[in-house]
Amino acid sequence: MFSFRGCGRWVAASLTKQHHPSSRFSGDSAAPWTPHFDVVVIGGGHAGTEAAAAAARCGSRTLLLTHRVDTIGQMSCNPSFGGIGKGHLMREVDALDGLCCRICDQSGVHYKVLNRRKGPAVWGLRAQIDRKLYKQNMQKEILNTPLLTVQEGAVEDLILTEPEPEHTGKYRVSGVVLVDGSTVYAESVVLTTGTFLRGMIVIGLEMHPAGRLGDQPSIGLAQTLEKLGFVVGRLKTGTPPRIAKESINFSILNKQTPDNPSIPFSFINETVWIKPEDQLPCYLTHTNPQVDEIVLENLHLNCHVKETTRGPRYCPSIESKVLRFPNRIHQVWLEPEGMDSDLIYPQGLSVTLPAELQEKMITCIRGLEKAKMIQPGYGVQYDYLDPRQITPSLETHLVQRLFFAGQINGTTGYEEAAAQGVIAGINASLRVRHKPPFVISRTEGYIGVLIDDLTTLGTNEPYRMFTSRAEFRLSLRPDNADSRLTFRGYKEAGCVSQQRYERATWMKSSLEEGISVLKSIEFSSSKWKNLIPEASISSGKSLPLRALDVLKYEEVDIELLAKAVPEPLKEYTKCRELAERLKIEATYESVLFHQQQEIKEVQRDEALQLPKDLDYLTLRDVSLSREVREKLHFSRPQTIGAASRIPGVTPAAIINLLRFVKTTQQRQAAVDRLPKTDQRLCNTDKLEDRQL
Amino acid sequence: MWRGLWTLVARAARGPRSPRPCTRQGSGAPAPGSGATIFALSSGQGRCGIAVIRTSGPASGQALRSLTAPRDLPPARKACLRLLSDPRSEEPLDHALVLWFPGPQSFTGEDCAEFYVHGGPAVVSGVLQALGSVPGLRPAEAGEFTRRAFAHGKLSLTEVEGLADLIHAETEAQRRQALRQLDGELSHLCRGWAETLTKALAHVEAYIDFGEDDNLEEGVLDQGGSAWGVGGGNIWHLSPQRPPYSLSFPPSTADSEVRELEVALGAHLRDARRGQRLRSGAHVVVAGPPNAGKSSLVNLLSRKPVSIVSPEPGTTRDVLETPVDLAGFPALLSDTAGLREGVGPVEQEGVRRAQKRLEQADLILAVLDASDLASASSCNFLDTVVIPAGAGSPNGSSQRLLLVLNKSDLLPAGGPDPSPDLPPHLLLSCLTGKGLDGFLEALRKELAALCGDPSTGPPLLTRARHQHHLQGCLDALGHYKQAKDLALAAEALRVARGHLTRITGGGGTEEILDIIFRDFCVGK
Repeated sequence: MFSFRGCGRWVAASLTKQHHPSSRFSGDSAAPWTPHFDVVVIGGGHAGTEAAAAAARCGSRTLLLTHRVDTIGQMSCNPSFGGIGKGHLMREVDALDGLCCRICDQSGVHYKVLNRRKGPAVWGLRAQIDRKLYKQNMQKEILNTPLLTVQEGAVEDLILTEPEPEHTGKYRVSGVVLVDGSTVYAESVVLTTGTFLRGMIVIGLEMHPAGRLGDQPSIGLAQTLEKLGFVVGRLKTGTPPRIAKESINFSILNKQTPDNPSIPFSFINETVWIKPEDQLPCYLTHTNPQVDEIVLENLHLNCHVKETTRGPRYCPSIESKVLRFPNRIHQVWLEPEGMDSDLIYPQGLSVTLPAELQEKMITCIRGLEKAKMIQPGYGVQYDYLDPRQITPSLETHLVQRLFFAGQINGTTGYEEAAAQGVIAGINASLRVRHKPPFVISRTEGYIGVLIDDLTTLGTNEPYRMFTSRAEFRLSLRPDNADSRLTFRGYKEAGCVSQQRYERATWMKSSLEEGISVLKSIEFSSSKWKNLIPEASISSGKSLPLRALDVLKYEEVDIELLAKAVPEPLKEYTKCRELAERLKIEATYESVLFHQQQEIKEVQRDEALQLPKDLDYLTLRDVSLSREVREKLHFSRPQTIGAASRIPGVTPAAIINLLRFVKTTQQRQAAVDRLPKTDQRLCNTDKLEDRQL
Repeated sequence: MWRGLWTLVARAARGPRSPRPCTRQGSGAPAPGSGATIFALSSGQGRCGIAVIRTSGPASGQALRSLTAPRDLPPARKACLRLLSDPRSEEPLDHALVLWFPGPQSFTGEDCAEFYVHGGPAVVSGVLQALGSVPGLRPAEAGEFTRRAFAHGKLSLTEVEGLADLIHAETEAQRRQALRQLDGELSHLCRGWAETLTKALAHVEAYIDFGEDDNLEEGVLDQGGSAWGVGGGNIWHLSPQRPPYSLSFPPSTADSEVRELEVALGAHLRDARRGQRLRSGAHVVVAGPPNAGKSSLVNLLSRKPVSIVSPEPGTTRDVLETPVDLAGFPALLSDTAGLREGVGPVEQEGVRRAQKRLEQADLILAVLDASDLASASSCNFLDTVVIPAGAGSPNGSSQRLLLVLNKSDLLPAGGPDPSPDLPPHLLLSCLTGKGLDGFLEALRKELAALCGDPSTGPPLLTRARHQHHLQGCLDALGHYKQAKDLALAAEALRVARGHLTRITGGGGTEEILDIIFRDFCVGK
């Protein structure tokens, strides 16, 4: 059970059994005692916690509904956070004052930045995390968040009402019905059900319904969604067995040590909670032909592998590795599950063989000869909803005020879930307050890339973030996530604390000032050569070099520059983060100049909004092919930019759409001149700015 | 100002997630937010009295200044006569009327320039190439001028009605044209290059995204590439201690593939003049000693009396040009003064011009009098012109020569070959027409080789667009080699691939991911 220590402000109320069998915990002592909330978040995983906390930060009275309070913040699969692309997402979540980075800085046992030698745009912050600590710290955070109440309970159904006429959608959600028949009313509902929608666990030939090992799946809710008309798909994933730590012979394996010093995940932390020397190592071992043999001989006992349901291409089980890349040796990382955990997570050994064969397979592996399997690996199959049914604010097209985040949208990974959670939470709150949605463009962040890919292209395998998905990778870096998102989060969403906002403001102005100072210092290349003999500056150039150009050289950093030109550069060596970020800005300066131009072009298209209530199937006055109509109808792009990214939507169709927008604008301008206006017409006012 | 949409429009046509269009990364690129400057021939293709070439965009003024001799802009909206010259070579191109329309009072609302040049294909292609060399300028996409005008509110709604159709039609035309051109070897080449580049990029991307996080596994890498694990790439900084979580695999195959691609592209671009020749016509120069019958041959080939013909040596004193259709190939045929020494100043100048024209020729028709092979002028011509050209060209020039022995009617009928020692040659009588068929067939072969017969020879690269993108690709590959930062190196490859996929289509991220997951066992 989770610890209540240090959580002084929650209120645990025992309730009348007949009506409220579940207990409610509140971080806000003044929370009203009525089952009516601004935002209700269903699910306490990585999407749910971020969504609930974000909605509460935005000022909405929020309820987090979860099967069990003690599984809030549970890391159901790997004991690690971050990585390449995923670390980028985490930094953006942090820039919006999300939780996962701060919790990771308090719960890691092995911090390591990946890609250190490949350029700062693709650095991947990563850490092995203590599962127990993470859960504890997350629960502490959630239970202490003002305006956020937590309640145990399984949701069975949604309460639907007539839609608001000024928005699109067939229904409007106004609350949820729990398994016990009780109801909770809500202005907005966020669904973050993870793998629980008709979840099935598979080991060998055995299949049984479960959202996670030991947890009940959500079947009623899945049926409700299907009945409403959502397009449902099926995905699968898997997790490896867990091994007893003391049964492993680490002495013969390769040991990997953490970074020294540790780099914190969060912008607001200078250090992490634990010293590098106190952190835990990881070990590396490999599979061998015996493992292949066991897998291949027992395929008939393995229904997860035989199933046609799509699994990820990039996180395959040992079975699919053996099948797709035969006669190879595969890596297995032995990762600690926590400081005082006696479990080891063998990353790379995700398997769904019958349990006894799993143990047999494990003991073939070097270092694991005497290993004791504590829990078998298993596969999970679950429902997801085609993400083209949601808007970039993560609200569904079909049901007003219903938001989806996390694996329900077809993604995989804690970080992807957290990223969607923050956006869903913010938007659920903004929706209640009748504010415009908070949408991140793919030019602004990996979160934007993630959501744009999902909502315009959909996915048929669990979607995971890679840096190669971001076309503006050099601009969307882990180091500058705060400059990209913190200000918007503060001003438009209200989800960012004053302290973080001020810090980001200081950093941004210092960076701008630093860059202009570095641009202003100019010497001939020969003088630079004398000043900084360590740098391989070619003296052939006749033009004077700016300090910013010199900083581009790999071997030059601010420290070195400041030794050569102490005034005024000394100032910029004082803050480590500032010095590093100046160096990174210099590295990419010339390319960013061009990228900025392309970004502006894309943003102009993103600013051209398509009316939300367009019925593409019956729309007259626009010449569109049947195929294009159907595609537009299904994805409902919100901007011309998004429409143009849908495969099969032709340039001519885009022009026709533009023309339509222009005509509509003229017509509505005429209507606007009539005395009576309503909300829908006001929405189109923005079109006036568009220089069409 | 609003190019983004149009680039997206172009992107949508090629499928999702194509890389953004790539701007040339030159020092003279326009300021951010201003968009590229485009140029195109606005009057119809083909021969016409006057051709109009237009530019639109912020670098229009710069383009106008670069091409016109007085380096200041003409007054706005006033036609001025200017000498156009190539900014790189200073070579004069044409006397042209130019017009300067500073934005927003212009057709597109941007700064625009218009060049009214003489309509010959050589002039037009010369001016287009000169414009292409100005930093910040690129050839316009289909309908791009109209689209820009639309974007800047320069077209009324009714005028815009036709825009979608126009774009559709032009894209279709471009597609058909591209299909025609890309059908066959060029398409094969470009696709091959794009595939190589996509694979190289996929491997670099795999190295970035999965090298350390997901245990790209060494055994599998042998399958993915031939030389994995061998350090020596210029951008992979391997420390003696391997980073944890990593089996570093310097993707040196990417490096070597990029190097090979660079060589291939460079060679192809040097070859690209062939494509230009087809449009503007090959330069065919008729040369020989005086009174060999050069002018008779020119008149015969052009089927009209271009040159005055007389039995008197030295009748032709200047270079006479006439565009002709030779065996289906457009050509510019030049008649020249007979080459000889020790004549008067006028004829001497004619000889000087003839020699200059000979240097510029793509194909020399060397004409000798079959009945007068022993004369000093014939021998001299053989020694100075025919033999050097026949000996091949050590400097790699592509000059070709066809040796014609005219006046075969003067030879005794059925007699032996008058010139067994000469290089390969043809006998012809311009008077009787005997040997003409054989000569025309030989000429067709030479021209086909020169222009690159699309049906048999190497593919043509006729469009400035292709050249532009191939050059852009090559430039980006240069940046790849220089990049010290792997993210920057990958960016250069992305830009390079973007250029190639503008020719071949395709280019989505999914393609890259497919290769990654096909070649590598990525997984935890």
